[in-house]
Amino acid sequence: MIDRLTAALKHARADYVEIRLERTWSAAVTYRGRRLEAATASEDQGGFVRALTRGGGWGTVSFTSLERLEAMVARAGELSRAVRLDPPIRLADVPPQRAEALLDLDGDVRGVPLAEKKRLLEAYNGEMLAVSDRIVDTLATYRDEVSEYWYVNSEGTVLHELRPEVTLSGTAVARRDGTIEKGLESLGLRRGWRSVQDRAAGFREAAARAVRLLDAPRVVGGTYPVILDPELAGVFIHEAFGHLSEADFVYENPQAREMMTLGRRFGTPALTVGDNGAAPGLRGTLPYDDEGTPTQDTILIKDGILVGRLHSRETAAAMGERPTGNARAVSFRHPPIVRMTNTYIANGQGTFDDLIRDVKLGVYACGAFGGQTMLENFSFTAAYGYMIRDGGVAELVKDVVLAGNLFQTLARIDRIAGDFRWNQMGGGCGKGGQYPLPVTEGAPHVRIEEALIGGDVAP
Amino acid sequence: MIEALLDRARRRADGGADALWRRVERTTVAFEWGRLKAAGAAEEAGVNLRVRHRGRVGVAGSTAADATPDEVVARALASAELGEEVDLRFPGPAPLPAIAVCSDRAADASLDALIALGRGLLARLEPLERHGCRVNVTVERETAETRVANTAGAAAAYRSTSVGVSAEAWRIAGDDVLVIGDAWDGTDLPDANVLAGLAASLEQRLRPALRVVAPPEGALPVVFTPAGLAALLLPVTQALSGKAVLQGISPLAGRVGEQAFAAAFSLADDPLCAGRSASRPVDDECTPSRPLALVERGVVRAFIYDLETAARARTESTGHGQRGIFGKPVPGYTNLILGAPPGSGGAPAPAPALGGGLLGQVTDGLLVDELIGVGQGNVIGGTFSHPVALAYRVERGEVTGRVKDAAVAGDAYELWRRIGGFGSDGRWTGSRYAPSVLVDGVAVARR
Repeated sequence: MIDRLTAALKHARADYVEIRLERTWSAAVTYRGRRLEAATASEDQGGFVRALTRGGGWGTVSFTSLERLEAMVARAGELSRAVRLDPPIRLADVPPQRAEALLDLDGDVRGVPLAEKKRLLEAYNGEMLAVSDRIVDTLATYRDEVSEYWYVNSEGTVLHELRPEVTLSGTAVARRDGTIEKGLESLGLRRGWRSVQDRAAGFREAAARAVRLLDAPRVVGGTYPVILDPELAGVFIHEAFGHLSEADFVYENPQAREMMTLGRRFGTPALTVGDNGAAPGLRGTLPYDDEGTPTQDTILIKDGILVGRLHSRETAAAMGERPTGNARAVSFRHPPIVRMTNTYIANGQGTFDDLIRDVKLGVYACGAFGGQTMLENFSFTAAYGYMIRDGGVAELVKDVVLAGNLFQTLARIDRIAGDFRWNQMGGGCGKGGQYPLPVTEGAPHVRIEEALIGGDVAP
Repeated sequence: MIEALLDRARRRADGGADALWRRVERTTVAFEWGRLKAAGAAEEAGVNLRVRHRGRVGVAGSTAADATPDEVVARALASAELGEEVDLRFPGPAPLPAIAVCSDRAADASLDALIALGRGLLARLEPLERHGCRVNVTVERETAETRVANTAGAAAAYRSTSVGVSAEAWRIAGDDVLVIGDAWDGTDLPDANVLAGLAASLEQRLRPALRVVAPPEGALPVVFTPAGLAALLLPVTQALSGKAVLQGISPLAGRVGEQAFAAAFSLADDPLCAGRSASRPVDDECTPSRPLALVERGVVRAFIYDLETAARARTESTGHGQRGIFGKPVPGYTNLILGAPPGSGGAPAPAPALGGGLLGQVTDGLLVDELIGVGQGNVIGGTFSHPVALAYRVERGEVTGRVKDAAVAGDAYELWRRIGGFGSDGRWTGSRYAPSVLVDGVAVARR
């Protein structure tokens, strides 16, 4: 295969060409309530070519018909020549890489019969349904894949990888009269079959929480000291800050560049944030990005000061900085764009109790149903929360929506505990129509001295 | 491919089969920050097969050109072996409605013509740069061939085209980020009026946004623009899916014939709208397309179903089966129409006034164009609370500036029971046609 790809590179008549090829075997099982909704095995394959000619822009082609590889490469060259661009696109130097990176499959999912995957999910789904007769519906999904991946470019990089992934998720819906509540469990790993065994407890807990939420009051909207659990803190740093640190947002926009000037203070000295595509065993981890750049740990905020950002080769060259291995594509259907990998808030000091000890009235926001940012504004829906009263965790509350302005909120993070953990969740990140990209987030408990909690927005 | 597949499937699956084959070619040109940056082509072909064997249903999909029919059928049968029993009946041959979904002009447009289209829009957006904006423009043209068939003898094939043009203006001043975007799509290439309309739409929303004012607070009248009413409509469309009814999570289940909304509220799904990319003569399961009234004058009329949800609910498919290459069909909307159908009030101006004439009724309130976090949380339950992404303060009938740091909240089902009026600015936002809507007593909070 490598020889065929290397030979095909010559057909572009371009200054720079890269070819990415993927063959993905995947299986998916879905339960809805007691009913198996689907159990399928699929095979997806295709390629992506990107070419750059002198004075031209990017020419890209994606395709599923591999037998026409040479024609696709030629087409990418033509498309690049059709885009006249001044000043031209430059790529930061990356030494040619040659690697055979077959990641540990941890029990190759391709060798496990579909019926066995069904049985596993049926058991986990059954755990949720058995929690209470208030559980009226569930959604449980199992998904696995192994992707064989080839990448070559005209600078001599040749990569061949085997990339495994497995995700499990469960949503339990509890209902009493008109009140409907949900509990969520999610697990995503760049591993295999062995890593999804013995996971029943998480599914039971999700269902039990949905039932408990039926009796929980809605949180009263207002501003509070807010403690984020590691899961929500991770989602927060990814959504609210991470996307701004992606250099494609700033590199050609002087106003954005000014806003994201290195050296600007973003938070208190307690705050350090980074993105580590090389962290072992996580879902966002890969040895190389989709431009053949080795991944690395990139510090973005150090002791409260903006010190770095995430780059592709193009954005790095445009800003005179170094590529960070963050050019990623969700599949062969898309070009690589600047993306996060495993984004984290670095560990602080002390315990969760230290964070709430002096809080008279506050909110402990846990888990995430979702989050969205519009640049400096964000909104996150916590899965559930607790009131904090007189330094202790008090009653369970629901409909906890955290909304705010990024800059104000980062500056108000005043305490960070020493209980860091990675959130090994499923789902994924979306950007520019590319979803779901496997990423991981990690954080310890984090305290925001004052934040707006929506929910029961009392008129 | 599809005939060979069904032929094999007929012999091996005792309950029949259906299949979809689709080949899509897409050409995209992207202008980043005012410069043409990239041109891309994508082509994809794949097949999706569903079989019913011993009462159980299974599916398989493949994009691999070298996958043999026997392999795909074997995978679908393996999937069916695990499946539950469904009394799924494949529809027989039926006449299809005549609807043109393909424009030769769009299909034949050259790369240079698409680039020229983008440049034309960029030129019209130049005035925005004087306000410190940077502009992104994307032009996308898609041509697709679709074939659907089943072992009951139904078969259909059609070609379709889709053209999308979008523009986004960014203005960053200090830590204030303002993004205003709009998009158009259709089966044919847009004419000069469309481009002028897009440019006018961006400029119209940019000018009053340059001034930031304090948000009001309390239970207030709020005008939701055609784009801004997504948060109000999403719970309703989720609840009107037959799938949600089957799951027991639709608050509208069992309420057909009941007055659930204000009499001004009507909602329909129309797969036969001329010129719309979401239109098609037949759904992805061989059911002929037909318009469907979902809510008429506030009364719930129907839910959407595909073959499987219909079989489970012991009703008929409404022709809303949608399927991709992988996975099984699911019920999905085509063109959603809120209120009076397009064209019924004469041709609208290229860029009608913001709020569609409803602002005059607002003494102090908001005009909401975009909210953050729509679709998150417990959507189908109807309650929502979203910070604003783009909203304006309205005082004594006039827009006085943009508000930030405000959130709106409410219960969508309840708000649709007290509509203060519809605007005269009905337009398409993606595949949804709607005018602006005035709702009284929406909770507005500021921080």
